[in-house]
Amino acid sequence: MNIMKKNVAVIFGGRSAEHDVSVITAHTPIIQSLISVGEFEVWPVYISKDGSWYSDQTMNDIAYFKREDFQTCLKRQKKVQILFDDGLKLVWPGILSKTIIHINVVFPAMHGTFGEDGSLMGLLRMANVPFVGCDLFASAVAMDKVLTKQVIAAEGIPVVPYVWFLKSDWKKNRNFLPEKAAKLKWPLFVKPVHLGSSIAISKVKDQTELENAIEVAFHYDDKVLVEESVQNLIEVTLPIIGNEELQLGAIERPLNKTEFFDFSDKYLSGNKKGKGANNMYSEIPANIDAEFVKQVENLGRRTYRALGCSGIARIDFLIESVSKQVYVNEVNTLPGSLYHHNWKRVGVSGVELVKRLIVLAEERFKSRSGITYVFDSDILKKIS
Amino acid sequence: MIRNWLSRYSFRYPRAIVYMLQASEYNLRDYFAWYHNVKNFANVEQRKQFVKTAKGTLLLVIAWIFIFFIVCFSSLILWFGTFPLKYILAAITLLVAPYLLAYGITVPLFVIRIFIQLPVEYFLIKQARRRLKNHKAVKIGVAGSFGKTTMREILRTVLAEGKNAVAPPHSYNTPLGISQFVKKLSGREEVLIFELGEYYPGDVRKLCNLVQPDIGVITGINEAHLQKFKELGRTAKTIYELADYLQGKPIYVNGESEIALENARPGHTIYSRKGIENWKVKNEKSDLNGTLFTLTGNGELSLKSGLLGLHQIGPLLVAFHISSALGLSHEQIKKGIEKTRPFEHRLEPKIDGTGVITLDDTYNGNPDGVKAAVEFLGSLKAHRRFYVTPGLVEMGSHTEKVHRDIGRNLARACIEKVVLIKNSVTHYIEQGLKEEKYGGEILWFDNALVAFAALPYLTVKGDIVLLQNDWPDQYQ
Repeated sequence: MNIMKKNVAVIFGGRSAEHDVSVITAHTPIIQSLISVGEFEVWPVYISKDGSWYSDQTMNDIAYFKREDFQTCLKRQKKVQILFDDGLKLVWPGILSKTIIHINVVFPAMHGTFGEDGSLMGLLRMANVPFVGCDLFASAVAMDKVLTKQVIAAEGIPVVPYVWFLKSDWKKNRNFLPEKAAKLKWPLFVKPVHLGSSIAISKVKDQTELENAIEVAFHYDDKVLVEESVQNLIEVTLPIIGNEELQLGAIERPLNKTEFFDFSDKYLSGNKKGKGANNMYSEIPANIDAEFVKQVENLGRRTYRALGCSGIARIDFLIESVSKQVYVNEVNTLPGSLYHHNWKRVGVSGVELVKRLIVLAEERFKSRSGITYVFDSDILKKIS
Repeated sequence: MIRNWLSRYSFRYPRAIVYMLQASEYNLRDYFAWYHNVKNFANVEQRKQFVKTAKGTLLLVIAWIFIFFIVCFSSLILWFGTFPLKYILAAITLLVAPYLLAYGITVPLFVIRIFIQLPVEYFLIKQARRRLKNHKAVKIGVAGSFGKTTMREILRTVLAEGKNAVAPPHSYNTPLGISQFVKKLSGREEVLIFELGEYYPGDVRKLCNLVQPDIGVITGINEAHLQKFKELGRTAKTIYELADYLQGKPIYVNGESEIALENARPGHTIYSRKGIENWKVKNEKSDLNGTLFTLTGNGELSLKSGLLGLHQIGPLLVAFHISSALGLSHEQIKKGIEKTRPFEHRLEPKIDGTGVITLDDTYNGNPDGVKAAVEFLGSLKAHRRFYVTPGLVEMGSHTEKVHRDIGRNLARACIEKVVLIKNSVTHYIEQGLKEEKYGGEILWFDNALVAFAALPYLTVKGDIVLLQNDWPDQYQ
């Protein structure tokens, strides 16, 4: 019976500040849903914080990662090798023989660096295997908040006024800061450009706070974004799935008490209540004016296309409720836990979501297989 | 296979043996039936865990002492034995040790039962019988293959509006359970309601002798525990031991249960969702908010209950009739019926944060109850519906028929998703579904825990999930 099942590798963990979040996303809902479908053989591929790769089906249970002796268990695990030979293969070397599993589809579940930033997608493109979610280019651009703003602003999509600079500039000379900051209206937000899950983001009200916040941000990243804060703010987010035809999730409004939706709100607070990420801290669908709904949906579609997203992404918006201005804030190419709580509210179950994402991955792979990447030439022969 | 066999020699084996005894309620027939079906003893504690009761702990200690002696005996043979086959004898002793333990553990159990348990129980039951004989309360006995707890709770809730009415908690329906409850009575109670549990012929008669009921209710007769009764006629005879005891006193019989009705005698009051005596039901309606109906007869009465399903109307009418006979006003009865709510794990609705509605019917494992639940689920047409079941246990020779019927009923009710747990009976449900050309989707899971874990990922806001019955570890 298992012979007919597709082998799906869920890759998670990784050398990232969001390593643990990735473990949650991989299991809830991805692995749980894939197992529930009953049509897939699920291979969890865990990348540890030191970059080692492991794969064992006992890792399909999140309890494995919660064990007190987790590190000891991991040390006992045999590392898995990856083979790029007519697709992607997982290889477990043995004394007399080795076990090889041919992977049909990869489901990346890595947040942040080396995963969501396009690195993993590059690897999977090289392996010539279908994979779920945004491709290399969209992932790489969306991972850089500044690059995202530059790309979508070029398409006429409104973004909040901002400035940015590199760690090398900051180290050499800080004098440019007052001049750059003078272009913006206080208070300001300081953000490391490559980190997700709202890590190391600060809201600052004066020059001293600004400098301290930049120091903190440079501790995590080498590029920092400083942007205006939006007054009379309504924050909303919109998950989207699709390649050519897009399906929108529900517009969701975080109901957090802090001034922005930070890491603990996203991933910890909801879980304390045992209801999963965001559940207790969001309004779904957001109770906002119909006019805003229309704008958010329109800008969401345009942003998704402008960045070349495919599979799944989530677009975050900032709404100035008095001036009625809607800004696109950032794009997340792997929404935490795929925002399955949101999809569930619009009638897409976890199982339907992962099945749909796998179909989208296969469709994209198939359409790309028609592209000619190589051609014969006699250029080498001409070299004397 | 080797791993399964080796599980008999693991450190968890003694605990598994004692757990199996405990989960079988120390019924040796059930214990041995289970023991012979187990392949891997490392996995017997799945749905529940061994509970450290005095009896369980004592048996576990005895089990380890037994193993200690076996190991000592083998060592002595090897150490001091001078005969040539000493190695073989020591090896055989160790090899058969798990089997000796599985059977030998019943000896101390037997000793505990004869010298401690039975005398204590005899004393407690005798004392309870004496107290009940002198108690002035009206005593109601509820017997039947199904629906006893629901009937007991409906009666208690409605009668409590005008009387000091009490009933044993949980499923206390054995002589010992009832005796423990009787010990706590103040003597000021006006109505006592007892469930009379039946597992073997004579059980109901024994309970009648204990509680000495003045009024009886027979909720229905079906295949529940058929494996123990072997044939339905014997089940009917056992349940009708209540009527034999009451002889001429009021007896209510569920007219919707074919076998109960066949056995009803002149003078018995028949009730159903259509009415009771000269009271007739009209405008009946049931949805997720509860059940509404109008009762017409000697006047007209609009009633509303929080219970789900039209099959609840019959038991509500019994409460109405008994309460009237005991002097409660229509207003009081109406108020009491309004207070009836679904009981734990019996078609109990729950809604989670994502808007999925679960109907927890995991304590309902009898064919009539299942039929009623499927009928109710089928009536909720505005939703996508999931029906999750491992099937029913102890259906004896009727196993195939009962499960095929479930499948057919599910297909007729057009339930969108049927979630089946792989075991010895659910393929009959699949056959029943196919016979009725079921157009929905069948989802299979290896066990209930995996299915329960998957449900949050299969459902969306507005879906209804009916969890029908739950199998303890001993059934596969």
